[in-house]
Amino acid sequence: MKKTLTSSLVAAALLLIWALIVIVPLLILISVTVKSPKEMLDSTFAFPKEWMWSNFTEAWQTAHMLTAFGNSLLITAFSLIGVVIVSAFAAYPIARVKSRLTGSFFLYFIAGIMIPFPLSMIPLYKLLKMLDLINTHQGVILIYIAITIPFSVFLYTGFLKGVPKELEESALIDGCGPLRTFLTIIFPLMKPVTASVIITNSLTIWNDFLIPLLYLQARENRTIPMAIFSFTGQYNSNWAMIFSAIVLGALPLVITFLLLQNQFIKGIVGGAVKG
Amino acid sequence: MHKRRLQLLFMLPAFIVYSLFVMVPMLGSFYFSFTDWNGLNARYHFVGINNYISLIHDAEVWIALKNTIVFAVLVTLIQNVLSLLLAILVDGSSWVKRFLRVVYLIPALLSALAIGYIWSYLYNPVLGVINMALQNIGLGHWAQDWLGDPKWSMYSVVFTNIWQWMGLSMIIYLAGLQAIPGDLYEAADIDGAGNWERFVKITFPLIAPAFTVNILISIIGSFKVFDIIYVMTKGGPGTATESLAILLYKKAFNFNEMGYGTAIAIVMFLIILFISIFQLRILRSRELDA
Repeated sequence: MKKTLTSSLVAAALLLIWALIVIVPLLILISVTVKSPKEMLDSTFAFPKEWMWSNFTEAWQTAHMLTAFGNSLLITAFSLIGVVIVSAFAAYPIARVKSRLTGSFFLYFIAGIMIPFPLSMIPLYKLLKMLDLINTHQGVILIYIAITIPFSVFLYTGFLKGVPKELEESALIDGCGPLRTFLTIIFPLMKPVTASVIITNSLTIWNDFLIPLLYLQARENRTIPMAIFSFTGQYNSNWAMIFSAIVLGALPLVITFLLLQNQFIKGIVGGAVKG
Repeated sequence: MHKRRLQLLFMLPAFIVYSLFVMVPMLGSFYFSFTDWNGLNARYHFVGINNYISLIHDAEVWIALKNTIVFAVLVTLIQNVLSLLLAILVDGSSWVKRFLRVVYLIPALLSALAIGYIWSYLYNPVLGVINMALQNIGLGHWAQDWLGDPKWSMYSVVFTNIWQWMGLSMIIYLAGLQAIPGDLYEAADIDGAGNWERFVKITFPLIAPAFTVNILISIIGSFKVFDIIYVMTKGGPGTATESLAILLYKKAFNFNEMGYGTAIAIVMFLIILFISIFQLRILRSRELDA
């Protein structure tokens, strides 16, 4: 490819500008958490002279971050386990048996991709109250499983259709029941999709704000976004506290991402492009 | 797997959870949109299509619709043009390019709530870093009340949303670019094609699937936009940034007009459905042509 000097300079400049637009706000986020308010006002853009860790400990305690962390972990983990299990199971007959029954189930499931959450959000409130699930972890977990089923079933089905049947057929001939065949042969084969399902959904669930805002208000059940949100009511513009809570809440995903960049990117792309 | 009972058994758990928490509430929305249910009282009455009639006469609904469309169009256009450009520029295996991809993707890992707060702080007219920076470089007269001035607030929110999702959109384009066979470009080089020609004749047609996905994600996401606006402006100042989802939330949970809220939700759903079908038709046919 022939490249002129000017065009590569323009390219480099563009890349640099967007990199700065991304990085500078993140650096400011961190510097607010470690600078004293006075230093922040005097020299906003300078490297912090003194690192103040007390904001983190204070945010950790006053925002009940430990409880929030526990809640977010529990909700994310159980939702992911739930959606992986039910979607993988559902996708197996859909991908393997071509019949009116499985065909209609497939359409029924993927119709959900078109349903925006706000469409079910108001009656869902009534339903949760009726089932006594309002303000409970179980209620929110069930919602997350339900709203992530359509896309997950879609991904699993698409993948399974590309897996040759020979392996499981020989297992079936050996007298292995369908359930055991699925668990010992099919499910392990689906690892790449399972990774996609887990990665895309963990981003959605861990960062979700609307569902906890609606159905999980009680302090002891709060997730991280809710803890941060409630925090801002108390300390109206205590940015150091708010930002500390934000950094703490973002760390698990950001660290996992930095450690597993390639799998992460593959997972996101696999999740998006198949749609 | 040939027995129907067994097939049903495998699909049953997903069927139950999905039906109960997605399908039943969705059908409930259609039902409640014909009632005056207020969410507090157990009793409610059928009001026929009254909610839909008041919706048409409700100026706030039209404002929210206009805002949502402006938001969607700006986000979709700017984000896709820029992210495709970035994707082309970071396509390659040098460490700088790989590093930049990682950097660009970081905002997509943060919650919209966190991003809303970060940018509220940056946009702040007094303490805000943007105005401070403008003053430092002698452009103090450019300083604005970015979120508090109805002239600017929508653009500020739009930019924040683009800031968050640019990296994700870029990664999807990048995957599309990397799937293009290299010999196509070699052939083009032999034919003496310039950069622009290569883009128009090879790159653009062949990334059609990535294009479809990205456009759909940004439009549907924009029509549902809630978190980032709720945190930054709550729809204000006035109704300058009020989206359909914000209006729906306010009506249902602040003013207890649940029946009316569901009617708004249904209008929103129909718009999304219409756009998705329309888009898939156009974009998929482009994929086939390519």
